[in-house]
Amino acid sequence: MSDETLVEVQDLKIHFFTDEGVVRAVDGVNLTVQRGKTLSLVGESGCGKSVACRALLHIVHPPGRIVSGKILYHRRLDNGLSETVDIADMDPKGREIRDIRGKEIAMIFQEPMTSLSPMYTVGSQIMENILLHTNMSKKEARALTIELLAKVGIPKPERLVDEYPFRLSGGMRQRAMIAMALSGRPNLLIADEPTTALDVTTQANILDLMLELQKQYDMALLFITHDLGVVAEIADEVAVMYLGRIVEKADVDTIFNAPMHPYTQALLRSIPKIAMKREELDPIKGMVPSPYRRPGGCPFHPRCTKALPECSTIVPAITKLNENHLVECLLYEDLATRKAMERPS
Amino acid sequence: MWKYLARRFTYMVFTVWVITVISFVLIQLPPGDFVTNIVSRMISSGGRELTPEYEAQLRALYGLDQPVYVQYYKWLRNIVLRGEFGWSFEYRRDAVEIITERMPMTASISFFSFLFVWIVALPIGIYSAVRQYSIGDYVFTFLGFIGLAVPSFLLALIFLYISQRFFGQAMIGLFSLEYADKPWSWAKVVDFLKHLWIPAIMIGLGGTAGLIRTMRANLLDELNKPYVETARSKGLPEFKLLLKYPVRHALNPFVSTIGWMLPSLVAGEVIVAIVLNLPTSGPVLYRALQQQDMYVAAGFILLLSVLTVIGTFISDVLLAILDPRIRLQ
Repeated sequence: MSDETLVEVQDLKIHFFTDEGVVRAVDGVNLTVQRGKTLSLVGESGCGKSVACRALLHIVHPPGRIVSGKILYHRRLDNGLSETVDIADMDPKGREIRDIRGKEIAMIFQEPMTSLSPMYTVGSQIMENILLHTNMSKKEARALTIELLAKVGIPKPERLVDEYPFRLSGGMRQRAMIAMALSGRPNLLIADEPTTALDVTTQANILDLMLELQKQYDMALLFITHDLGVVAEIADEVAVMYLGRIVEKADVDTIFNAPMHPYTQALLRSIPKIAMKREELDPIKGMVPSPYRRPGGCPFHPRCTKALPECSTIVPAITKLNENHLVECLLYEDLATRKAMERPS
Repeated sequence: MWKYLARRFTYMVFTVWVITVISFVLIQLPPGDFVTNIVSRMISSGGRELTPEYEAQLRALYGLDQPVYVQYYKWLRNIVLRGEFGWSFEYRRDAVEIITERMPMTASISFFSFLFVWIVALPIGIYSAVRQYSIGDYVFTFLGFIGLAVPSFLLALIFLYISQRFFGQAMIGLFSLEYADKPWSWAKVVDFLKHLWIPAIMIGLGGTAGLIRTMRANLLDELNKPYVETARSKGLPEFKLLLKYPVRHALNPFVSTIGWMLPSLVAGEVIVAIVLNLPTSGPVLYRALQQQDMYVAAGFILLLSVLTVIGTFISDVLLAILDPRIRLQ
């Protein structure tokens, strides 16, 4: 771990204990978020990316539970030293995690239409976060709120601060959400598909805004999306998730130019490219399997075009292709040594 | 906001007028009138049959020979101009006296029932939703369905039996014997409050069960809304979060039902009041309808309806205050 590491997720497992069986939504995830950098978590719907990122705030909805693993948060203290706390170990309703939420780690969501309560003004919902985490008076908090609203590009902020969310457009609401997230001056901003519900022009504006604010506030960004176009635009590093596991992790150029995992390759192939003038889309074959019927071995093998016979029985381990490029696939594992190692046991 | 209130108010006045027409027509609907009633009663008690002339005289005396619209006009005019609700044939008194004697009792029982229902049902509903499928939730669900299924008069009967059997005294009425006919005093008020809670709880119990289920369902809908997650991600303490966001949202539908609670409480009260011998409006209204004591019946129906309409108006105003979406759109 370098001094630049902000959050380390180690072998995180979140299982949902339902009547129909146990759903292993997150099943041994390892992630590292660097200070001031953008990590993009990519995957299809239902791969566990939203569950995993909420766990960073220790928000896990029942019947889900963090079964094992660590979420190490490295906090810099005022005296120049640093301390490490394990978020996974905290009481989800306790003081300790509540002091991190909204202040050190903030989050914005997919649905700007429903993420703000229609009962309270935009301003009061932002002020709530400020009053919760600082000693400011209401007047100071209000002034800061107006300042933040102006910063995220909301016109006439001194008037909109008293406006109710349902009188704002989707883009404006997402800006207000960003203002709320920024109000605690977080070290990490988690964004769960923040542009998915917006139209394309608004999407671009919001992305630009987030990148600019990230620089200004020197905060790390964990960006969850299934939109690879967005990934290319904002990410420093990319983690590809499939059925609760990170199958490939590398810097953004490597992911787009030299993807190694068959799933990443298939994902990239499935994007329609204007330049290639292809007639048909090239989707990934098959469906995401039911969460109750996880395939044995590598979870991707039933849909994989390059699957080996071993893929249905052996769970691939992490292979380090180089310092920054990790992949979980038997194609890159030295199968002979692995078998030799496993035989005695 | 003001436009909304003005519109609501206009509707309210119009509704009240429609109600006066309907309640007057309704009590005229059964065949015969109060005089026919007297005649049949005299016959059944072995008295002489009245001559048709005498019957006609009686009708003229009470104004029952005039066409319905004339009767209606006179009735309404007297209410509006003089606050008179007509004459009770049955009690041989002003109908308004009977009504004013009984209405405060009904109003206070209704009010306490209402308080009871809300104070008990809302916290239980919230608990049941937050701890969905816990043992507590199942227990309250079970009790709730029993409460819904058991009619309140049966509860009243059971209660009468228990109080008679085990406490040696039937807890009926709203006053102890020594206060029943005394004028109002502080001691009488205390005595009244001591008796009040029993019928208030009995009448409210069915409503409590219903409200628990509704609150639970409403809140379950809200608990997983994204704005709750937003609030949680800010680091709000869980209890404050619960009350400020999802409960606040789940409460709105209730506020709009305040107005309708009154008639259902009054209707539920009739049989309980008869069983427990309560001096409320229910039994009198029931009797007046049976005896075709039209001005008493019409007066009660009118007043109860007006209260309901006012209740609805109040809940509309409350809703506008509580929910900015209604206020601003």
